[in-house]
Amino acid sequence: MNETSKDQDKEAGENQTVISLEGVSFGYSPEHPILQNITLTIPQGQWVCLVGPNGCGKSTLVKLLNALLPKSAGEIVVCGQKLEEETIGYIRQSIGMVFQNPDNQFIGATVEEDILFGLEGLCLSHAEMESRLHSYTQRLGIDHLLAKHPGELSGGQKQRVAIASILAMEPGIVIFDEASSMLDEGSRDELMGILHDMRAEGKYTILMITHDADEILATDRVLALQGGGLVADVTPAELFLNAELLERCHLQEPYAWGLAHELQKRGIQIDVPASEKELIDTLWP
Amino acid sequence: MAIELQQVSYTYAERSLWKQTALHGIDLSIKQGSIVGIAGATGSGKSTLLQLFNGILKPTQGTVRVLDVTIKAGEKSPKLFPLRRRVGLVFQFPEQQMFEETVEKDLCFGPLNFGMSLDEAKERARKAMNDMGLDLKLLDRNPFRLSGGQMRKAAIASVLAMEPDVVVLDEPTATLDPISRAELIALLVRLCREQGRTIIIVTHRMDELLPYADSWIVLNEGSTAFQGSVKELAADPAILERCGLTVPQSLRYWRAVADRFGLDGENPRLTAESLAELIASLPAGKRDAHE
Repeated sequence: MNETSKDQDKEAGENQTVISLEGVSFGYSPEHPILQNITLTIPQGQWVCLVGPNGCGKSTLVKLLNALLPKSAGEIVVCGQKLEEETIGYIRQSIGMVFQNPDNQFIGATVEEDILFGLEGLCLSHAEMESRLHSYTQRLGIDHLLAKHPGELSGGQKQRVAIASILAMEPGIVIFDEASSMLDEGSRDELMGILHDMRAEGKYTILMITHDADEILATDRVLALQGGGLVADVTPAELFLNAELLERCHLQEPYAWGLAHELQKRGIQIDVPASEKELIDTLWP
Repeated sequence: MAIELQQVSYTYAERSLWKQTALHGIDLSIKQGSIVGIAGATGSGKSTLLQLFNGILKPTQGTVRVLDVTIKAGEKSPKLFPLRRRVGLVFQFPEQQMFEETVEKDLCFGPLNFGMSLDEAKERARKAMNDMGLDLKLLDRNPFRLSGGQMRKAAIASVLAMEPDVVVLDEPTATLDPISRAELIALLVRLCREQGRTIIIVTHRMDELLPYADSWIVLNEGSTAFQGSVKELAADPAILERCGLTVPQSLRYWRAVADRFGLDGENPRLTAESLAELIASLPAGKRDAHE
């Protein structure tokens, strides 16, 4: 089973590269570089997470991809187009971004208008707009909120509206900048479910900034930033087995991993349990 | 009591067609010098509740008592200026409370506003930056050029700089990296245990606060579904599920071990380290027989 999934990954590896960065740097002033000499490629369909301590440049990096911030040096290619003045429009249509604070992306007077605003910009037919509006709001469990003003919603509801408005535009690349940080665990699980579905569909390349161990575990690949540079490109399991890297990235292992390690320290050799039931069954069969 | 609510309800836009009740008949009390966690699903009224704690919102029904100030629905409220100095509120989105040109000016604004000298205010600002683990070099920066996490720490620092008696934080650790999160919780615990401040934290990451909170309030659709100690919560975590929340992992693993060995009377072990220690002290069952 693992073998076949690896083979599939290999095929995915031969997939077209949708994001590539070559020697990319950025700073608000030359004396204070924020990102330095970043080189990486991401193939179509991959689910990648970007990790690192607060202030290491994660949000800056994703904002460079669609020129929300102008790179100071290097080359960025998105969906086969080199990022230049003339291609910004095309690139921005291929990348959907969900930010930390949903208030920063609301413009409509109602949830419905807010979601339709993005679709209007894509010159879709009315029927198509209606159909996407309903299918994505239903998927995110916000179809009962269509007539509400975004200001009336709670933090988590706002975040779901923001996500629906981005997904409705069906971009090939979706970037989540700590989009789950305001959600309660139930809503977060739902969001992770949506991301799993998106990954399975294969249409989306997902780039997710997160500090959350369980979210990191769900992804295909971890890119770690520290002090403005790329310091690791590993799988989630490799990350959580590397205590030194975890510390450098200011991350913590998932609870079950921590418990297994604490037990191992006390001479009880067990694998990371998948659930509390498995722990009990293993320890006291 | 630091805070007491009696039969408090809050309705948004009460005199309009769009009126919406966010809180219904809340009774609660928060002890001075304690750490209280507030949990609840999205839209359960947590942020509304916090805004009652320093008079940003006034109850539409009932009585709110904070320190020595009483705010009664329908009555003219007393002067809230002294209360706002003593109750510091950190909002969910830090960028909504930053406004100055530099981080230093932002941090000094509160202390200056409450009558401190500029030197004193700057001293407070530096201390708060250090407490939050922020580099003093950032004092000259424009707050809007900080990263999301740094901005959040600066916003918390600006509230701590006023040295309030009651610190109320709405999801303070969202967007912080896990190390910074643990450091922030440790700092808040110190402020409580060493200086007797009351700390109130709304969080959906119950795991990180569970080992430290003295008590919990769980909201469900604008009402209090649970109010009590961690021990009581650990005895029946299913209440969280009934309120649309997920039972935190630390609580699930503790329950599993406690159920297996009938440990209900004991203080719950809610960190990986303390639970592992307990497991190591329990009978090994068949586990050792195999070795």
